[in-house]
Amino acid sequence: MNKEQVKKLFLGGLGLIALLYVYFSFFLGPLNKSRDAVQAKIKDLQTKISTSKAEISKAAKLEESAHSATVRYDALRALSPEGAPIAWFPPRMKTFLSTHQIDKGTTRLETNSACKEKELADWSRYLWIIDLPQADFESLGNAIAQLENTNPLLSIKKLRIYAATDDPEMQKAVFTAATIIYKK
Amino acid sequence: MPLQLNLLHEEILQHRQRQRDPLKLSLYAAIALGALLMLNYLWTGYRVLQGKSRLNSIQAEWNKIEPKVTAAQKRADELNGIIGTTNALDGYIETRFYWATFLEKVAHCVTPNIQITSLEGVIEDDKGLVTATLDGVAGGREPRSVAEDFRQMLLEQVGKEQPTVKVEFKTLEDLDTTVAVGGSNETTAHFVVTVGMEPFPKAATPPPTEHKARPKKEES
Repeated sequence: MNKEQVKKLFLGGLGLIALLYVYFSFFLGPLNKSRDAVQAKIKDLQTKISTSKAEISKAAKLEESAHSATVRYDALRALSPEGAPIAWFPPRMKTFLSTHQIDKGTTRLETNSACKEKELADWSRYLWIIDLPQADFESLGNAIAQLENTNPLLSIKKLRIYAATDDPEMQKAVFTAATIIYKK
Repeated sequence: MPLQLNLLHEEILQHRQRQRDPLKLSLYAAIALGALLMLNYLWTGYRVLQGKSRLNSIQAEWNKIEPKVTAAQKRADELNGIIGTTNALDGYIETRFYWATFLEKVAHCVTPNIQITSLEGVIEDDKGLVTATLDGVAGGREPRSVAEDFRQMLLEQVGKEQPTVKVEFKTLEDLDTTVAVGGSNETTAHFVVTVGMEPFPKAATPPPTEHKARPKKEES
């Protein structure tokens, strides 16, 4: 090989290196980058799809298993009529007590507050004072039993029954009832 | 052996030299390499296009699933909320104290020579305690023992359902007044009995059971 040929070979080698550089950097590089991005996106979407399918089936199973809970929840919610409790609870108590021969009675609201439990964020706790100045002990006992049995969200927190001085046959009674009412 | 003369020797040599020209050979090599690189580029490009088309189909599938999964997640949250609320409400319902049952027990214990003048009951939610105070008068030849019988009977009656119950005298004192019981005058004693119980101990909450209060039958 003469000098001229060596020079040409050297230049050819340089050209080859430049060609390879250009090929890998400007042609194949972006293509591979794009392919990797597409693969990553596919992988990401496939993971999302598989977890989503699992979640959809989980929600369907939950829907089935929560059937009794939803029915019960609706039933408990239906115990709270529309409107402000102060508007419907005292008349309801008056009617209820009159069916147990307790005609004299007043119901007043003591306090109301939001429930502390985070699960009961949509529910409020109301404390009512029910004052019965004249009640027969048997009728009162029956009324309390029925009140406790028919109102699952009502709980008597304080109770005071004492003899009425003016009528020995009758008693006076005051009780504090706590009710949990759905916020409409 | 005859002598052979190659008159084209120089021409053949030149031809061979041209054929072995490294520049020419490297040019061929470069063309071959270039072709290989081009094929590789096209193959990679084809795979990218294939990947993009797959991505499009997966994206379409995801677009179909996404609203469903969002709705499912929302519904699952809602259902979990409902379950949590129902459990909390059930917990509240199951840990209620039924006063009617207690009043019935008290009424059962009140004999003709006992008169309850006042009954006060309180539920302390934070401690899980129920306390009741009964104020009354016992009459008889030995009014203190009548009051003690009442206390014991109350302990026995309430203790059937509430094993943790404690029935204690807060006050027991003789009175100067007499009362007519069964046609004869009897001495009296004033008593205050406290009933304390822990129907739902904090440490071991009983499993939810159907618990219904029964209406009272007797009158005090």
